[in-house]
Amino acid sequence: MKNLSFHYLEAMEPALNNISITIKEGDFTVICGPSGCGKTTLLSLLKKEIAPAGELEGTLTYLGKALSEWDDRTLIEEIGFVFQDPDNQIIMDDVMQEMVFGMENLGYSNLEMRKRVAELVHFFGMEGLLKAKPSELSGGQKQLLNLLSVLLLKPKVLLLDEPTSQLDPVAAKNLILMLERLNKEMGMTTLLVEHRLEELFAIADHVIVMDKGFVRYEGESRDIIEAIFQNNDERAIPYVPSISQLYMKKAQYLEKTSIPLTVKECRSWIRTVSPLMSTEQKAANDKNESILSLQEVYFQYTKKTPYILKNLALEVKQGEFYTIVGGNGSGKSTLLKACIGNIKPQRGRVLFREKETSKLKGKALYNNFAYLPQNPKTYFIHDTIDKEMQEVVEQKKIDNGEEKIVEMLCTFEIEHIRHQHPYDCSGGEMQKAALACMLLGSPTILFIDEPTKGLDPLSKQHFARLLKQLHQKGLTIVMVTHDIEFAAKYAERCAMMFDGAIMAEGTPTELFQGNYFYTTSVNRATSGSGLTGTLTLEEALASWPNHVPI
Amino acid sequence: MENGFRSYHPFVQFFYYICVGTLAFYFKHPLFLGTACLLMILVNVSHDRGKAVRQWIPALLVMSTLIIVLNPFLVSRGTNILFYFRGKQVTLEATIYGITMALTIVIILLLFISFNLILNGNRFLYIFARILPRTAFLTMLSIRFVPLLKKRLQEISAVQRIRGLSITEGSIRNRAKTGQLRTQILLTWSLDESMQTADSMKARGYGIGKKNPYIPYRLKKHDWGWMIALLALFSICIAGGALGYGKMIIYPKLGTLHFYPLDWVLFYAMLLLHSFPLIVEGREQLRWIFSK
Repeated sequence: MKNLSFHYLEAMEPALNNISITIKEGDFTVICGPSGCGKTTLLSLLKKEIAPAGELEGTLTYLGKALSEWDDRTLIEEIGFVFQDPDNQIIMDDVMQEMVFGMENLGYSNLEMRKRVAELVHFFGMEGLLKAKPSELSGGQKQLLNLLSVLLLKPKVLLLDEPTSQLDPVAAKNLILMLERLNKEMGMTTLLVEHRLEELFAIADHVIVMDKGFVRYEGESRDIIEAIFQNNDERAIPYVPSISQLYMKKAQYLEKTSIPLTVKECRSWIRTVSPLMSTEQKAANDKNESILSLQEVYFQYTKKTPYILKNLALEVKQGEFYTIVGGNGSGKSTLLKACIGNIKPQRGRVLFREKETSKLKGKALYNNFAYLPQNPKTYFIHDTIDKEMQEVVEQKKIDNGEEKIVEMLCTFEIEHIRHQHPYDCSGGEMQKAALACMLLGSPTILFIDEPTKGLDPLSKQHFARLLKQLHQKGLTIVMVTHDIEFAAKYAERCAMMFDGAIMAEGTPTELFQGNYFYTTSVNRATSGSGLTGTLTLEEALASWPNHVPI
Repeated sequence: MENGFRSYHPFVQFFYYICVGTLAFYFKHPLFLGTACLLMILVNVSHDRGKAVRQWIPALLVMSTLIIVLNPFLVSRGTNILFYFRGKQVTLEATIYGITMALTIVIILLLFISFNLILNGNRFLYIFARILPRTAFLTMLSIRFVPLLKKRLQEISAVQRIRGLSITEGSIRNRAKTGQLRTQILLTWSLDESMQTADSMKARGYGIGKKNPYIPYRLKKHDWGWMIALLALFSICIAGGALGYGKMIIYPKLGTLHFYPLDWVLFYAMLLLHSFPLIVEGREQLRWIFSK
């Protein structure tokens, strides 16, 4: 790819600016950067069938020949593309049909199809799922299915657009392991756009950091980390894995070759540092009366399916930031639905200030509750955010609404999208806009479902800062998430959900320390050393000894 | 892996249903039809221990009684008069005709219950993909959308309820308005998302050339064997019927129930044809017992 620039139609600024990248055969390349930096545009330009409409300057070459000179069929076969959302890219209503969809279109013989399916299904270990319906699969399984159906065409290059952004940590790790295996065992050239980078830096041969349509950094993982820290680039630092950040900030003699990328490397480095530190515990705060309480809640969707919630008890106090973590299918989202009274449990009670939530109606409901769903698209009913906010003002009869609206827009830093259609905004912006609308009515309690899905590290930081502000103003927040790093950093009290019940509850430190999976990578790297008990980078930095004797 | 009748090729199964359906209309003989009806019940029982049939029993009984009772009162053709009802003759012929008609309809319904259990989803589409490939593909696409839309609508309802836009309370006008808003969100959202589905289709070469369907089923030796056997039995039945056997004369004067030798041949052919699933299942059961 050489001197590539790309303009979207009707756009003033180019989405991509003079980009030159060469990707070698067999490389595992990771592209990262904040939302809207052009990484997805870049990726889709490489796949001719879905290339966005616009003005393209420069040349794209594949195996020494310009992309436009290749015939369609070869390109479809040789360049595979996996999309972000696991649901949207599934076309057929049957796993088997879905797998062979691509091959059917290209008119392969039945022998060839059977051969490929047999081989790859076995490699993926998906034999048990062949007869299933896509709607019965978990997100992780869906994404593996998507990868598998692309691989059946035997591509030489694999392009993936944030494939793990909708998955929980365990499923995401599975997918990444699969990609690593494909790359190592078959030499598959892989080009991955991703936000979640903790593990990817260790796997990648080649990392590209983009911003505003430019390539900022390009090279091997360690070179890039070094370059970012040398420039002290605030916008890029959040992308560096936290264990490497720890090293860059605290190691005495920086050596490029020993920058730790994996937990293993970090542990061996920490071992060379003398354990001197003491960790202070965050003081848990006992306060206020309970605002929401669940008592012995049991719930099942139909009579014949197993209970999703079993003997679940939970108490949230006024002004608390409460987080619930747990894997896919542990019942987190169902729990949240029970909290907001959207489902009525078969047994047990869900009380909001001594009243059952499922019986709350009208004003008692919308003046107290706010619920930010996983997908904020479900919230908007009007074609601009402005109209949306006006409607809330009208419904709740808020005095001097206009002032309030402006104030909200300012706090959330979204004045620039006030007159846009919600669907035209980025995920992070849409989330903020929905939240702004809800908070106009100053609710008592805010429920959030997986807010960090698909957000880049920068927006995540912004979002967390906002939540913290709101929390300090006295808003009670109940959040469901699988992002442990996020929960560890900001929550006051955490609960771990497993098999339909709250298995453990406590401060983040109490809960996440020493776990294998449900913990942060910093904790995994430091447990057993002098830093035992630190969960987040910030904590590790704070409790780091000032003088490190070696 | 599926056993018994289900393990056969969809074409064989489909052909079996065509045969049974055709013969149900072809034979007009209470004994033939009664036997066929009994066999179809047994076939259904062999599929799932009669779970699906049980739900239909009340409906089937009510319907057949209605036909049997109403036909003689509405139709007064025939020579053997049983009694007079309000000055209208109620004939034996019409009663018998009612019974045969009821049996035919019951057989067809039983056939569809079984059809639903055996040729569901993929097998059904596989058969129709040959005849109407585009329709079959479109059906597949739409079936896929049903659970997806349902899931989305649930999410939307959750969010909008908290917003204070409810469809369970308030005036009818308001409720209708919120209901409409919800559908509107569902549509905009789904359209937005389906752009990606379209991309995904394009990325995997949809419409690039002639499609070669993947055939998940292969015609095996036993499929061919049964196909030929069914075809032979079916031809015997049709040929025999064309000669006037296997049919009873009802109007204007009731014929005899007596079986001529050729009637017996026809009867056994039909018996064998209809019992195809039973034979297959039975053989499998026996094999299990003896292999222990």
